[in-house]
Amino acid sequence: MAIRDWPIKRKLTVILLLISGLVLLLTSAAFVTYQVITFRQTMRNNLATRARILAANSTAALAFANEADATEILAALKYDPHMIAGALYLADGRVLATYPAAAAADLIPAAPQPDGNRFEEGRLVAFTPVAQGENARLGTLFIASDTQAVSDAIRLSAIIAIVVLAIAMLAAYALAAALQGRISAPILALAETATAASTRQDYSVRAPKFGEDELGMLTDAFNQMLGRIEEQKKELQQHAKILEQRVAERTGELEKRAAELQAANSELDAFAYSVSHDLRAPLRSIDGFSQVLLEDYATQLGDAGRDSLQRVRAASQRMATLIDDLLKLARVTRAEMRTEQVDLSGMAREVVAEIQRTAADHQVEFVIAHGLEAQGDSRLLRVVLDNLLRNGWKYTGKRPQPRVEFTAINENGGRVFVIKDNGAGFDMRYADKLFGVFQRLHSAAEFEGTGVGLATVRRIINRHGGRIWAQGAVDQGASFYFTL
Amino acid sequence: MALLSAVTALMSALLLVQGQRASEHQLKAVFLFNFAQFVEWPAVAAQDPRTPLLIGILGDDPFGPFLDETVRGEHLGLRPIEVRRYSELKDIAGCNILFISRSETERVGPIFAALQHRAILTVSDGEDFAKRGGMIQFVNDKNRIRLRINLEAAQAANVTISSKLLRVAEIVRTPKR
Repeated sequence: MAIRDWPIKRKLTVILLLISGLVLLLTSAAFVTYQVITFRQTMRNNLATRARILAANSTAALAFANEADATEILAALKYDPHMIAGALYLADGRVLATYPAAAAADLIPAAPQPDGNRFEEGRLVAFTPVAQGENARLGTLFIASDTQAVSDAIRLSAIIAIVVLAIAMLAAYALAAALQGRISAPILALAETATAASTRQDYSVRAPKFGEDELGMLTDAFNQMLGRIEEQKKELQQHAKILEQRVAERTGELEKRAAELQAANSELDAFAYSVSHDLRAPLRSIDGFSQVLLEDYATQLGDAGRDSLQRVRAASQRMATLIDDLLKLARVTRAEMRTEQVDLSGMAREVVAEIQRTAADHQVEFVIAHGLEAQGDSRLLRVVLDNLLRNGWKYTGKRPQPRVEFTAINENGGRVFVIKDNGAGFDMRYADKLFGVFQRLHSAAEFEGTGVGLATVRRIINRHGGRIWAQGAVDQGASFYFTL
Repeated sequence: MALLSAVTALMSALLLVQGQRASEHQLKAVFLFNFAQFVEWPAVAAQDPRTPLLIGILGDDPFGPFLDETVRGEHLGLRPIEVRRYSELKDIAGCNILFISRSETERVGPIFAALQHRAILTVSDGEDFAKRGGMIQFVNDKNRIRLRINLEAAQAANVTISSKLLRVAEIVRTPKR
């Protein structure tokens, strides 16, 4: 794991251990160095002192070249096991006596070296002048000590340093482990709280506070932030609730309105139906009795009377047609829907055949695309096709080459059926009036009709959940588009 | 230091021929000078600290130039060291160390009598010098020069000999008569 990914606890512990370890190491090194330097100095001083004492005792032996006495004086060195060699040189540099008495040649320098003491070749040597008081120099004393004591001292210092280091590091580790919590615990608590808040979306949790330091301030700030988020969340929820309530209220109102409207509509339809139905009986009487009058009293009426009665009959017949259409419209609204797969192409061909058969005087070229199908009520859809195709047939009545097409196009991923003619067309300004009841753009003298057909068509399309619209221009033909 | 090295050189040259007469007397001259460092004389009141320390030779001088060369320029403390040669006993005055030549061996009795109670360190290489009442006697022993000291004689003359010097010497007594 990379160091930067370590848990904060371990980081703190390691940092504390590193620092204390470094400090301890340097301190121990200083301690050992000081010990060694001091010890070496002490050793040199001790050797120098010993050399001076021996030198003071050796004056007479050197002054009177007494070898036996010199050897005896040097023999005292045996009481210190670290003393490995000694010698007395006469003033002329000759060796008078040595220690040990039969010393190996390499142990004793052949001639005295400059006065002083120094470490050389793993031993400490001292050369001291021998003189009686302030008088002329009588010779030189040489003694040598091994450095075993120094290495012993170094070893002892090192062992003490290592033991102290180990104990101190253990103590430092224990302290670090105990004290790092003061810093890491608030941070860990903060992290835990943050995780809880973000994973459970629970903003009511609060981080525990451990003190008034910067971490305490951070904890306070974090808790304040959580508090604010919680408040805002509550507010949002409240707003959402109010909004939902309002939507429900509005929906309820709308539903109520729609129901009212529905009720009003069906009432109106029922009214229209009954009126239309009830109007047919008197109309039949008017037409029937007018016919009786024309047949039985033709001679008494005269030409003017017969003409008037003919007009009465024509008007009443037109009114009957109108009432029929109105009844049809009402029925379309009231009829029950039976949805099924409908073959629109086949249905259109049947309608066209019927039109051509009943109106042989006006032949129109009908072009019907193959395979047009839709889901819907076949009876109602037949009314739609009948109306639209018949309209095309009707409004192309004054064209030299009348033509009506029934096709489908794909628009916005949906199927749009089109019935297009090259007939009289209409002014687009009145496009929205086309589908109103009794709304006509042409006079009955120009093109006969009741103004109910397109209204009926729109109702059927609407009942199928579809849409119908028209495009056209005067004398440029008209196109009717519908979806189902 | 120049002197010291000269002395050293001289000594080493002479020691090489130890056993021969010349080197023997040369060594004795050095010893004579060294005695001054290990012997104390009673203090003389109001004496100038620069009063010379006198080394006298009674009788024939066996040292030739050696003694003069040895003490030349040397001091004991502030005191310079001088060599005096005496032919007559009566000439001796203010002497600290007196070397009595072999030529005077026959006369040691009267000499000791004359010097009695005078703080003079008497030295000689004559036979039985110490036993006869002299203080320090040079004894030749296997090419080495040993010292024989009559401590009583020294004490009688109020001359204090350092224990260090005693260490390297043989102590003898004057036989009781």
